[in-house]
Amino acid sequence: MSTEEYEAFILRRNDYSLSEEQEALRDAFRLFFEKHCSSELVRESEPVGFDAALWAQIVDLRPVAMGVPLDHDGDGAGLVELALVAEEAGRRMAPIPLIEGMVAARLLAKLADHGVAAAVGLLASVLEGSIITLAVGGGAGRPGRQLVPNGAIARTVIGLHGDRLVLATSDTPPPHVENLACAPLAWWDLADGDTLLSGPTALELFAAAQDEWRLLTAAALVGVGQTALDLAAQYAQDRFAFGVPIGSFQAMAHPLADVLMGVECARRLTWKAAWFLDFEPEHVRALVGMAYYSAAEAAERAGSVGIHTQGGFGFTLESDEQLLYRRAKGWPLVAGDRRAELQRIADRVLPVLGTPAASGGASQ
Amino acid sequence: MNFGAIELDDETRSFWAATRAFFDEHVTEEVHAEERDTGTGYNEKFHRALGGRGWIVPRWSIEEGGAALDFVRARIVEIELDRAGPPVIVSQTTPLPALAVRMFGDEQLKSEVMPGIGTGEVNICLGYTEPDCGSDLAGVKTRAVRDGDEWVINGQKMFTTGAQVCHYTLLLTRTDPDLPKHKGLTVFLVPLDLPGIEIRPIGTVGGEKTNFVHYDDVRVPDRFRLGGVNDGWTVLSAPLAAEHGMGKVPDELAPGSGRVSIRQMRRLLGTVLRWLEGQVDDAGRPRLDDPITRERLAQVATELENAVVAPGPMARIYCAEALGRAASDLLELVGPAGLLPHGADGVVEDGWVEYMFRFVPGTTIYGGSTEVHRNLVAEKYLGLPRSTPRG
Repeated sequence: MSTEEYEAFILRRNDYSLSEEQEALRDAFRLFFEKHCSSELVRESEPVGFDAALWAQIVDLRPVAMGVPLDHDGDGAGLVELALVAEEAGRRMAPIPLIEGMVAARLLAKLADHGVAAAVGLLASVLEGSIITLAVGGGAGRPGRQLVPNGAIARTVIGLHGDRLVLATSDTPPPHVENLACAPLAWWDLADGDTLLSGPTALELFAAAQDEWRLLTAAALVGVGQTALDLAAQYAQDRFAFGVPIGSFQAMAHPLADVLMGVECARRLTWKAAWFLDFEPEHVRALVGMAYYSAAEAAERAGSVGIHTQGGFGFTLESDEQLLYRRAKGWPLVAGDRRAELQRIADRVLPVLGTPAASGGASQ
Repeated sequence: MNFGAIELDDETRSFWAATRAFFDEHVTEEVHAEERDTGTGYNEKFHRALGGRGWIVPRWSIEEGGAALDFVRARIVEIELDRAGPPVIVSQTTPLPALAVRMFGDEQLKSEVMPGIGTGEVNICLGYTEPDCGSDLAGVKTRAVRDGDEWVINGQKMFTTGAQVCHYTLLLTRTDPDLPKHKGLTVFLVPLDLPGIEIRPIGTVGGEKTNFVHYDDVRVPDRFRLGGVNDGWTVLSAPLAAEHGMGKVPDELAPGSGRVSIRQMRRLLGTVLRWLEGQVDDAGRPRLDDPITRERLAQVATELENAVVAPGPMARIYCAEALGRAASDLLELVGPAGLLPHGADGVVEDGWVEYMFRFVPGTTIYGGSTEVHRNLVAEKYLGLPRSTPRG
């Protein structure tokens, strides 16, 4: 790497503050989910993991249209804004097909720009609230059926089959399959899907969509981790043992401090990755994968430390920690083994490892 | 939210080039060799050269011996200093006590001490820690008892790094054992050549030589006292506040509490990768094509980026511990030859990985152990009750 390139990377701003508009957006969705998405609602949505009324309500806030470009009747927001919304949904474990909808809508807009006629009509119906999803799984592009997130509630799935980007449809969604996270998973076979686009551009567009899915899933997992931590920290203050709050024992407090560290770092990595995708995509390198991997680790750890902090109570179905623990594992695993993410990270960082450019910029 | 590059004008770019040239010229192999031999954390010739530029205290005014650098240029000096990796412990311990002298010293003391700070002629070390107290700093026992215009000091300090090459130490003493422990402390700037002071070296596994300093009826004139009697806690914290008062350092230019660990981690990763590029496994395949090797490098790279983004006191904990994990696993990746130190037959990358494995345990200890920082995080950010008694 040349000196000039090195200089351009090492002296960067490091500003994680939110603008007033971003704060207002986050607060609006936080309020919405606090009001409409209680843990009782999440429990009642199990085992399918979908609440149609909540989905109907949130459509008014246009979260799916938010990230669609203005010239496609969207609101032109970036991934930073979508990540803020996804985190709020994650905090409340909202049982709605939000992230896949956001990503699919953006993908459809790009397909329309590439002259894919079918994408125009589909996008219009998605913006009106119809459910579409993505086959993001590890089986993408391989023959045979695969587990698709929201596959049990969507009649339309976009995914890869070989080097074809296909649209699979079904008059009625395939049956829900029970799963750890109580997510609306179902088996789909994309072999009979209609080709939207094929060749390198198709692969590129789908890879970009997968990155956006990873990014927004990371944001949702940060929300899951934050709630698991908040519940555990509160419990550690309220619960007494041996005459003192259990949070005064370092053996309880220090693991919680570690969880906070993991969640904070994952949130910042997610924001940073989102910012780079929005403003300097050529420099994003492995940040998305790092955010995704770190958020998945942080959320799972938050759930497990959360259960442990609550002791026997945490292990009962009464505790919300178990809801969070199962989702922390299930939401990302539908896209495959998270350690496989490290191979993708290696692809992107090994050429510049040991330099600040590995992160698309670093100030320290 | 903004992570964009900071645009530099031509003048700043030339400054950067000149800065790099300075460090290339002065941080010679001879400097590194001396540090390996002595572990002092100080090289007189380099330190004076740094002083010649005003870069011991780069942001201070030129009259005070600094270089009046703005934030960006000060950061550039820091970046190049990090890159060159000279011994800098003494040039890092000196400025803070000097600020205390500026704030609390009388005119005579200031005229003796201050002109030599920027030039590198006066060095100061930190005399805080004792054999029986480290993270619980307010527990110091070294006694200072007034006797007319003098104070008589008895006790011992440990880990007074740089004492053998410093002119003064900023000494934290107990002047009233009957007051609550944070209240009975007084700070002195003690000349290290006074009778009754004995400096004894302590070796460390990281190679750094630090010191015991014994104080046996050491008589210190009252004019070396900084701040009020029993007001030592204020004197220790005031310079930090004053430094922040020089204008808020923009976030991207503020030295994070994990900066040293991040720099070491990046260097370690770069070093091991450079070495791996030429390596093949037993079957003759390039090691960098091996998925297990790649996974482990990616793991370290991911933790490094977590370290870069970690905020506040969490950075202190995360960065030091991530460096420890990296040093361990990267040494494993190098294999048996990674065990060889500098100068050994068949040494890998000049023994850097072996050295780092010895270096890392210290990073979770000095400056307050990671446990103390976890207490802080749990109390401040999670609202958990205090886990340790406060005197």
